[in-house]
Amino acid sequence: MPAGLNINFYAVMPEILVTALALIVLVLDLFIRKNKAALGWVSVIGLICILPFAAYTNEPYPVFGGTIIADSFSAFFNVIFIIAAIFTILISMDYLRKIGVDRGEYYHIILFATVGMMVMGAANDLINVYVGLELMALSFYILVAYRVKSSRSVEGALKYFVLGALSSGILLYGMSFAYGAAGSTNFMEIAGELGKGDNTYLTLGIILMAVGFGFKIAAVPFHMWSPDVYEGAPTPVTALLSVGSKAAAFAAFLRVFTAAFPAFQADWSSMLWIISAATMIFGAVVAISQRNIVRMLAYSSIAHAGIIMIGLIVFNDTGLAGVAYYLLVYAFMNMGAFTIVALFRNKGRFENIDEYKGLSTTRPLLAFLMALFLLSLAGIPPTGGFAAKFFILSAAIDAKYYWLASIGVVSTAISLFFYAKVIFYMYMKEPDPGAEIAPASGVIYNIVLFCTAVGTVFLGVYPAPFIDMAVKAVRPLLM
Amino acid sequence: MEFVFLIPLLPLLGATVNGVIGSKLPKRAVGLIACLVMAAAFVVSICTFYKLMLLPATERSVVVSFFSWIASGSFSVDMAFLIDPLSALMILIVTGVGFLIHVYSTGYMHDDKAYWRYMCYLNLFVFFMLMLVLGSNYLVMFLGWEGVGLCSYLLIGFWYEKKSASDAGKKAFVVNRIGDFGFILGLFLLYWSLSDLGAGSLDYKTVFENIHNIDPAILTIIGLLLFVGAAGKSAQVPLYVWLPDAMEGPTPVSALIHAATMVTAGVYMVARNNALYSLIPHVGNIIASVGIFTALFAATMGLVQNDIKKVLAYSTVSQLGYMFAAVGVGAYGAGVFHLMTHAFFKGLMFLGSGSVIHAMGGEQDMRRMGGLHSHMKITSVTFIIGALAIAGMPPFSGFWSKDEILWEAFEKGHFVIWAVGLLTAGMTAFYMFRQVFMTFTGECRADDHTKHHLHESPSSMTIPLIILAILSAVGGIIGIPLFEEGTAAHQFLNPVFSHGEQELHSEAVHGGLELIMMGVSVAVGLTGIFLASLLYYAPMKKYAPSFWRPEAIASSFKGLHRLLFNKYYIDEIYDYLVVNPIKRFCDWCLSFDLGVIDWFVNFAAWATRLTAWASHKFDIYIVDGLVNSMSTLVTYNSSIWRRLQTGYLQNYALVFVVGVLIIIVRVLLG
Amino acid sequence: MEQFFFYMFAIAAVVSAVLVISVRNPVHSAFYLIVCFLQVAAIYILLRSPFLAAVQLFIYVGAIMVLFLFAVLVLDIGREQFRERFHGQTVPALAAIAGLFVVMGILVVSGKITAPLGPFDEPALMKNTEVIGKSLYTSYIFPFEIVSILLLIALIGAVVLVMSGQGKENKG
Repeated sequence: MPAGLNINFYAVMPEILVTALALIVLVLDLFIRKNKAALGWVSVIGLICILPFAAYTNEPYPVFGGTIIADSFSAFFNVIFIIAAIFTILISMDYLRKIGVDRGEYYHIILFATVGMMVMGAANDLINVYVGLELMALSFYILVAYRVKSSRSVEGALKYFVLGALSSGILLYGMSFAYGAAGSTNFMEIAGELGKGDNTYLTLGIILMAVGFGFKIAAVPFHMWSPDVYEGAPTPVTALLSVGSKAAAFAAFLRVFTAAFPAFQADWSSMLWIISAATMIFGAVVAISQRNIVRMLAYSSIAHAGIIMIGLIVFNDTGLAGVAYYLLVYAFMNMGAFTIVALFRNKGRFENIDEYKGLSTTRPLLAFLMALFLLSLAGIPPTGGFAAKFFILSAAIDAKYYWLASIGVVSTAISLFFYAKVIFYMYMKEPDPGAEIAPASGVIYNIVLFCTAVGTVFLGVYPAPFIDMAVKAVRPLLM
Repeated sequence: MEFVFLIPLLPLLGATVNGVIGSKLPKRAVGLIACLVMAAAFVVSICTFYKLMLLPATERSVVVSFFSWIASGSFSVDMAFLIDPLSALMILIVTGVGFLIHVYSTGYMHDDKAYWRYMCYLNLFVFFMLMLVLGSNYLVMFLGWEGVGLCSYLLIGFWYEKKSASDAGKKAFVVNRIGDFGFILGLFLLYWSLSDLGAGSLDYKTVFENIHNIDPAILTIIGLLLFVGAAGKSAQVPLYVWLPDAMEGPTPVSALIHAATMVTAGVYMVARNNALYSLIPHVGNIIASVGIFTALFAATMGLVQNDIKKVLAYSTVSQLGYMFAAVGVGAYGAGVFHLMTHAFFKGLMFLGSGSVIHAMGGEQDMRRMGGLHSHMKITSVTFIIGALAIAGMPPFSGFWSKDEILWEAFEKGHFVIWAVGLLTAGMTAFYMFRQVFMTFTGECRADDHTKHHLHESPSSMTIPLIILAILSAVGGIIGIPLFEEGTAAHQFLNPVFSHGEQELHSEAVHGGLELIMMGVSVAVGLTGIFLASLLYYAPMKKYAPSFWRPEAIASSFKGLHRLLFNKYYIDEIYDYLVVNPIKRFCDWCLSFDLGVIDWFVNFAAWATRLTAWASHKFDIYIVDGLVNSMSTLVTYNSSIWRRLQTGYLQNYALVFVVGVLIIIVRVLLG
Repeated sequence: MEQFFFYMFAIAAVVSAVLVISVRNPVHSAFYLIVCFLQVAAIYILLRSPFLAAVQLFIYVGAIMVLFLFAVLVLDIGREQFRERFHGQTVPALAAIAGLFVVMGILVVSGKITAPLGPFDEPALMKNTEVIGKSLYTSYIFPFEIVSILLLIALIGAVVLVMSGQGKENKG
């Protein structure tokens, strides 16, 4: 065993545990024939047990030949991934039964996707980023296509697959440039080798990598896949895609750009500036014209990606902590909104925003919660969305990115328009006479909605400890 | 004191348990959880109160800090509670009356299918109300302030299938929002002006220590803005309109939220800010004027209502006006004392009316009641005790508190307020006894089916009635001016109002003049009762002169009667002046929205056509066939632009690659 | 001499890649893809990476393409012609590619894109396979294990997509 290999199983314990859980579910799938939801419960309980390990694993030095690092940053994101996976599995159990594809593979594919995300968050090496990203992406290709008989699902999966392959190719191309320039794939070695900056060869690699990550976070102009895929995929998968996949891509994005290329900050921040501004404006403007609620949320999630990018661009501790905190809040509020959409969407019903008419009279509690999540997404106090936006935008102002902050505010203002439209339909319109009444929420939905709503509000009214956590989480990136 | 966090936490726990698994639990368990947490909170409140009493009077102000809530830069707010005589009294009222109403609710709401949801909301409401009164800074208070508004909205619209109920909920929410807007603006202004002085904080203590440094003009604006918030929450003119409609909610809700606790939050807030208001007595005068005007205005509307709950609603608005008149003239102790007695007797009367409605099978119109005394003795007797209390008959609690307000107003030289208050007291006695006579005496005017089912309510409902009746009867005892330094209530509350009262009013002298005043107000009250009895009490009707009959009065003052009966057409005026224009604006926005989308689509199509046309002309007239390829390119481009989100994979990939290209050019060549 | 071979293979690779997407018969497409892969393998040899060249031949040409042709033949889609392939965007696509080419050309000609040589010298590269094997099982053991999960998922995915056609499906 060469020196410096540093095998430490404790550092990768969360990944090992989730993989083991996925394998257990895989095997149990063979024995449980009737009630596949039981597999979902096994996964959820397993993940809840793993959550403390994921949160407290802290071995802040690179292990396994420097390819992976289990520091506070990866722990923070592991918590986001696991929470997102728990919520997704909970709302999936009913949803799968509803669409008639109640099969066991679904659950372990989600768990494997979670492993992929965790590897991305903990990666300290370009190879690991890529492998984790592919593991996550491959799982999502399958999950998006899960409604095999729905043409929209298959079409979405195909688009995601082909464009995902294209973006992976570009990402790899960028990584190979970085390897070529630095002679290593390890972040710290790259940073050490290229401490001086000003290297066009590497800048090209950085651009291509940014494009690869930009695809995963659905930044303009690499966002084209997301509305189609979001609409076609089973709704819980859409929720995980918009929360987990985005968070994982941001985690890797942050880690690669801050740990490996800090010397090139001037280059990449000017490039990301354009992408971020375009993403914020485009996502918010196009969302206005959407009639389909999932497409609307897809564009809204594009706009959010633009705002989150601000935190990376400003590249100071508040900005980076803002990214982490925003993604945590986003996990709760977006999950909540998608939970309600998943609950209602059935057999072509409740696809369009105008079908939410008069929901306040037929399902007042659900309408209220939906309004809460939407207001949080729009960034209205006292919700978590406000705290997160405030945090990131104030970081931008501190770092004198006035224009970017202004665009962020404008985008937020525009986005209020389409979020409020849904609330307007729910509260100010009468339901169509004879229209099908929205389904009631069962116990599982209630639990998920309760947790997400509490999370959304709590992160808004008492953000201090979580902001502290986020600040601690990004500290390793700035060393 | 260290267990004070339990007081709000227990109801929150109850709300959480009932909210999450309540639908799966049996009703008995749901009710038991809700009532037990309230009882426990009440016990803890009593202990806290007792411990506070053990301290010397000057040290009765304890801040219990739990954790740092928000800390960002120089701004920091703690999650902390302030235990002083004012908040201790409030938590006793909230948990005590709240507990009784919870018990009552287990009987009243027993057959409702969403029983668990009701209990969850009710517990949640108590939690927020306790946060409101316990908070040691404005932000915690604001949290409670918004929370009770939310719960009020949820509970008014509890029977949301009924359109009037969900509309009433919305109305309450919107009107409250207007008030809250003023409140939060006031807070911003307060914080901002304190920050200028280098004392940016939202803690009561820090704020009150530095408040006299603020420019009085700004202080006036702050005071007025805060009062707008109070007027919204406590249903003062012109924001009172939501409260009568709020009676669409279940009756125990009306008792708890819209009589005993939430609507008094505004009074509490003004009393809590006595240090602020004592610096700006002219704002105090405005508050007192608005309050006494509201008292009179609401009382006149109460005279002619036929809905048993609407009468109580208007009387609540009216009594709240009294409280504002009291705190406005600087008689904070009297205002808070009336707040307490009002919680007892108005809670009692609402619960009594609920019991009546329960017995009548949901009927609320008093013209179809009558003679219920023989069927439901407990309800009837307790209700009459409540009516005597509100009418200000000695020795019931209302007498002491109302009289104290009138006396303080008189003593401080506010003779108009005193006179209007006296007039209002007479009206109050009149319409309350009109209600008593119409409901409990005479012939029963209900149909046979209802008559057949008349029954006394179950003990879970009558026991809270009896307890509240006892409190209404003797609750005034702490306000009897037997002590040398004012009443027991004053002695207890005075440390809190030391900022306010000492500057405005010298030591109260209780002498012969006060006794005369008492006599006058009792006489006015008795007159009101007497006039009501002539009109509505059968044995007395024959003594009434011919012009003093309901029909005769209604016909001779036709215009006035119609005006009162239609509540001065205020709702219609608001609809015309405010609601409809906003609705029109919303519709306009919607059509604008639709228009904009169409416009986008049309514009894209039009632009395409224009480009095609332009390039076509360009083609033909200027360069002819030479730039054919150019024209083709433009057409291609515009069609791609129009169907940017075409659904074609190839297009997406193209956009992707073009994006990469642009970025490379921008970064490496730019 | 080496440069001559590089350009020969490179041009052949690009031409065959263009043909892959422009011929109308899927079987022909597949064959052009094999040609393209062979050129790439040859370039690997020029780059002193015999192991990658062998892997390229075995896996892509040997396994994947044979499987692909097999599927094309079995499903009998060979005669079916691709109709619309570019969705009317030939011109912008060509423009974009030309633009990319020009930009890269400018960067290369202006000498902005130059990279230092890698850490491996000529003798180390002679033991190419050994070097790859060593680093794969030492430094890169963790990603290597993750790849095994990746393959497992790929297997499961293929099964899921084929099998779940049996269940009932609602549109929704």
